[in-house]
Amino acid sequence: MKYLLLLSLLFGGFNTVENEIPNFRLKNLDNRTVSYNQIKGENLTVIDFWATWCKPCVKSIPEFVKMDKEFEDNEVQFIGISIDGPRNKAKVKPFIKSLGVDYPVLRDTDSSVMARLRVTAVPTLLIVNSDNEIVYFHEGYKTGEEVEIKNKIKELLSE
Amino acid sequence: MKNIGIISAVVAFGSLGVLEQAEAQLYGTNTFEFQYGNLPFEEDTDLTTSYNQLNLYYDSGKFSLYGKAEHFLTPIEERDYFKFTQRRFQYQDDNFRIRLGNFYETIGSGLLLRSYDIPGSIYEGEFERTRYSFARDLEGIAINANNDWAEIKLIRAETVNNLLPPNFEPDSVRRPDLVEAVQANFFLNDNISAGAAFMRANTPNSSEYVEYASFMSTVQLPSNFQLFGEYAFNTESTPFAFQREQTYALYAGLNYYIGSFGASLEYKNYNDFSLGSSAFNDPPSLIKEHTYPVLNRSTHVPNPENEKGIQFEAFYSFEGGHSLVANYAYTVNEISNRDVYQEYFVEGAYKVNDLLSVKSFLDFAIDEPTDQENRISVGLITDKSFADSKNIILDLQYQTYDETFQPKKIENYFASLSFGFNSAFNVSAIFEASTQPGLVDNPTTFPEIETDPRTWLGFNSLYRVNTSNTVSLFVGKRRGGPACTSGICYEILDFEGAELRITTRF
Repeated sequence: MKYLLLLSLLFGGFNTVENEIPNFRLKNLDNRTVSYNQIKGENLTVIDFWATWCKPCVKSIPEFVKMDKEFEDNEVQFIGISIDGPRNKAKVKPFIKSLGVDYPVLRDTDSSVMARLRVTAVPTLLIVNSDNEIVYFHEGYKTGEEVEIKNKIKELLSE
Repeated sequence: MKNIGIISAVVAFGSLGVLEQAEAQLYGTNTFEFQYGNLPFEEDTDLTTSYNQLNLYYDSGKFSLYGKAEHFLTPIEERDYFKFTQRRFQYQDDNFRIRLGNFYETIGSGLLLRSYDIPGSIYEGEFERTRYSFARDLEGIAINANNDWAEIKLIRAETVNNLLPPNFEPDSVRRPDLVEAVQANFFLNDNISAGAAFMRANTPNSSEYVEYASFMSTVQLPSNFQLFGEYAFNTESTPFAFQREQTYALYAGLNYYIGSFGASLEYKNYNDFSLGSSAFNDPPSLIKEHTYPVLNRSTHVPNPENEKGIQFEAFYSFEGGHSLVANYAYTVNEISNRDVYQEYFVEGAYKVNDLLSVKSFLDFAIDEPTDQENRISVGLITDKSFADSKNIILDLQYQTYDETFQPKKIENYFASLSFGFNSAFNVSAIFEASTQPGLVDNPTTFPEIETDPRTWLGFNSLYRVNTSNTVSLFVGKRRGGPACTSGICYEILDFEGAELRITTRF
């Protein structure tokens, strides 16, 4: 009985909330601290949480590199946030360079920004609008899902 | 009565999420997992359990509060618990942060101290099958200050032995070591950073401290080379005397990239360096952590008591989305015997077109610490997408090896077929088989010893209800064994039954 009660109340607690993104500060790959507001896009900002050890992330990043180029005239800014820990941080730069990433990559070595945005898995992609609201949240990545993400960006740009 | 109170709190916190404002925000995540099943090989054991983990955050300007509550229910009431397992007060501005309570922090590359959290993970204790969050936190105070040329951190905290569940008493046994540490890093110019750390640890029931020091540096060399390293030692040892009776750890590496090619070479040399009674440090393993199940289970876990080795990895990303990864690892430890671990790994991914990709791997290893010889692992993963967002993944893996003390060849099979109906809903079937003697024998029929291969068949489904809620369901048999995530290795227990998990962000 106690299980059923707990279960039903949890289901009852389901909700959806739009969130405002904080102006977080993280180090980039050159050890410079940058804030979200300094690098966000005029129209949309696409934030990708990833790690060097995450296979789906490795698959998704080349797709985001393509999208970054495709939407660069639309004031859409891509930002990568690596959650690799302190001992992996040296591997992030060669890894990201080999994948041809040109957009800013930040290091969330203690996963504090990840926790702040309630991201619990990698890869997770967030789209933030010009009012700093998180308007799209996509967890995981499988081949073909880049189409859905691209369509979402187009839809948000047309609003 | 207590349970009702807890449930109310969970729902109340969830509902408060909608009240959040720009200035002050209350938000969090909740993970609920319900298991209904039996122990492997036994049909009438009631393994019905319920686990809930609530992470609650409150931010107001530069101040924030955090709390984690865990709740576990089983048919055996003595194992039930409800606990606020973490709490934290934090003040943070642009260049300063202070945390009081439970937090995560690492000194250098983890040679002296590493704490971690694996978000979303639920660990199951081996002895009482108690479920709890798999995190190794610190409890105390941490102060961080930084600007563009320096970073300083100060820590005074108790470490945790996370193999003991949160309801283990007394708590002093679960949090046995007190560490006090200071680390300073200086960014001397765009290419060079150098730092040092000092740490002392108080062992249980003793007022004496053991002291350690560490030096670390990263140098960006010309032509895209990057050199980094850290040397840590017990201050009573002779620095840089790499002898068996000394207490030290050296970790160094060299990275290189040009265009779409990247490579890294790393070296480790650890001796007598498992620190504290809770082993609160975690020197880098320098072993590739594979995500393929047959290889992930075989990940070599380094022994900081004595281990030397190297790891080399090269990767290349081709035009068109293809990639190639090669990895070589060599490790030797000389504790009682001289044990060598050697692994050669190559992985290729080929993107046939935008809707079809194929990935395969080949791995050869000699694993003397676990008495496995000539271990060969292969895999082929085919990923087919369709224009309407549907997706099929077929994952086939095989592993075989000889056991040093057994003439029989051991085999492991893994097959998974996954259907994604869209990004929000997917189902998969997972089949595994093994001839490993430790797995095929049914301990309840002792002294009879079974030798037939053992099989596991399970079905998974995952549904993302919306951006805030995800529901997953597993039904069938799940193979247990070692698992490694983000450099952290732990044991997953066998399970047979149904498991429902609901994850909520609010």
